[in-house]
Amino acid sequence: MFLALKEIKKEKLRSGLIIAMIVLISYLIFILTSLALGLARQNTDAINSWHVGRITLNSSANTDMRQSFLTAEQVGKLTKKEALIGETSVVAKAAGHKQLSAVFIGLDETQFVAKNLVLESGHQVKQAHQIVVDDSFKLEGYKLGSRIKLNDSQTRYTIVGFTKNAKLNIAPVVYGQLTTWQTLRGLTNGPVASAIVSQNTHYKTTKQGAKTYSTAKVIEKLPGYQAQTTTFVMMIAFLMVISLIIIAVFLYILTMQKLPNYAVLRVQGIPSRVLVGATVSQSVLLVVSGLVFGTILTIITALVIPPAIPMAFDIPVLSAVGAGLLVMALIGGLIPIKSVLSVDPVSVIGG
Amino acid sequence: MSSFSVKNVNQIFGTGTAKVHVLHDVNFEAEPGTLSLIMGPSGSGKSTFLTIAGGLLTPTSGEVTVNGETYTDRTKKQRDALRLDSIGFVLQAYHLLPYLTVADQFKLVDKVKPNGNLSKAKLDEVLETLGIEQLINKYPGELSGGQQQRVAIARALYPNPAIILADEPTAALDGSRVKVVGELLKSLAVKHHKAVVVVTHDARLIEAADHLYEMQDGYLTKK
Repeated sequence: MFLALKEIKKEKLRSGLIIAMIVLISYLIFILTSLALGLARQNTDAINSWHVGRITLNSSANTDMRQSFLTAEQVGKLTKKEALIGETSVVAKAAGHKQLSAVFIGLDETQFVAKNLVLESGHQVKQAHQIVVDDSFKLEGYKLGSRIKLNDSQTRYTIVGFTKNAKLNIAPVVYGQLTTWQTLRGLTNGPVASAIVSQNTHYKTTKQGAKTYSTAKVIEKLPGYQAQTTTFVMMIAFLMVISLIIIAVFLYILTMQKLPNYAVLRVQGIPSRVLVGATVSQSVLLVVSGLVFGTILTIITALVIPPAIPMAFDIPVLSAVGAGLLVMALIGGLIPIKSVLSVDPVSVIGG
Repeated sequence: MSSFSVKNVNQIFGTGTAKVHVLHDVNFEAEPGTLSLIMGPSGSGKSTFLTIAGGLLTPTSGEVTVNGETYTDRTKKQRDALRLDSIGFVLQAYHLLPYLTVADQFKLVDKVKPNGNLSKAKLDEVLETLGIEQLINKYPGELSGGQQQRVAIARALYPNPAIILADEPTAALDGSRVKVVGELLKSLAVKHHKAVVVVTHDARLIEAADHLYEMQDGYLTKK
């Protein structure tokens, strides 16, 4: 550590440039991770907010809630841990406002999903023609009391509440009554819901034509979700590997430049472990400094970024990414160790 | 008993037609308080002698003893420890660590070998003797060649070794500086009671030497 600190102190420009490079790499990875996380959450926020473990759909719906219809017979008797969901895509419009593509979720206000809905402002849906919407509607100028039309219906629905992070498939969610869902889908008789969601992780339907899935399975089948998350995970993984290579190359060059100095230290009888310790601790110090500055930059970004940009700054996830970068840098720092251990002190004898 | 001795050392590099016999039955002894000069032309085996004497290279045969301890049969790690304790090197190009101040060059030794080094008072005395006491917070890059060399001598002396091995210490110096360095190495031997061994081809150092050796084609003879 002594040698590492002294070298960093003396070689400020060189150390600064390496730290700057690590700052940029970590900042890029943090921002991309936040973006990936933000987009992934916009796909699943609504489902996650229900805190359900099992989802029952029509067995012919290809695990897609929007394609699923369950009849009263298929729903059967529900306990307090089950709730009905009716999902459909809608276009929300109101005079003087931009049209918004949204997902309508019909709920039964006596069941747990509606009861547990956390509102940012306003109140729960109490009657037909009332809706609670995601707070992204505010960005388009919608307020409590705004009256909107859904699809081609001439019925106006009043916004009575705003809820946070209510997104499904990146579209904002409009919560209303199940009867509204039936109206929007033109279902006067027959299907009563798209899905049964259950807090009971062992819940399984026995009804003909219905099938129960884990929530993770339904999320996985959300259109585009798998492709999107896989792309981001691959991107971040490649960035990690690229950062490993870049950091390793820099640290390798840095170490190779010092080999004549290390040869002198070996002549003096300084043990190899001291030189290895100096090399590794220098790598750790540079990378940790870079990560700290990268984190500060990310925090500043999180504070100033417009809410419309789907980024989620999740501290445990970003900490794990930071730790991953540190591990990568340590691996990079260990690559030149063989050269350090095999440094030949005789090379400095005899001029 | 001599503080440093080399007995029947042979060094052979390569095999078959590429075989080179660099040192032939070399014998050498150095007493504390004396300056021994080993002279010879380039390629005569001086540097090989120095690397073997300093425990950096294991000879093909023979043994090297420092303060009664034979280290030619020791492991690399043990030789490192012995070198740190008992042998000080002054290298031709000084080779001070560029990112350590003069003070830090000594602190580094303290970090690795906390005991047995010169006391603060003794170090101050050495620095004063060498005329570098004002340079303690300077980096090597801020020093002249002569100043760097004196710092290198102080650094070699700091772990309080039994012997000092100097490799061409005057190679980069002009005539007036050669005399000063010769006197300095001599006073180092006498004042600090060290066995100082200088390997050089610089005949201007002869007048400072107590013992003169000549290396010729791998054979060492006392003059």
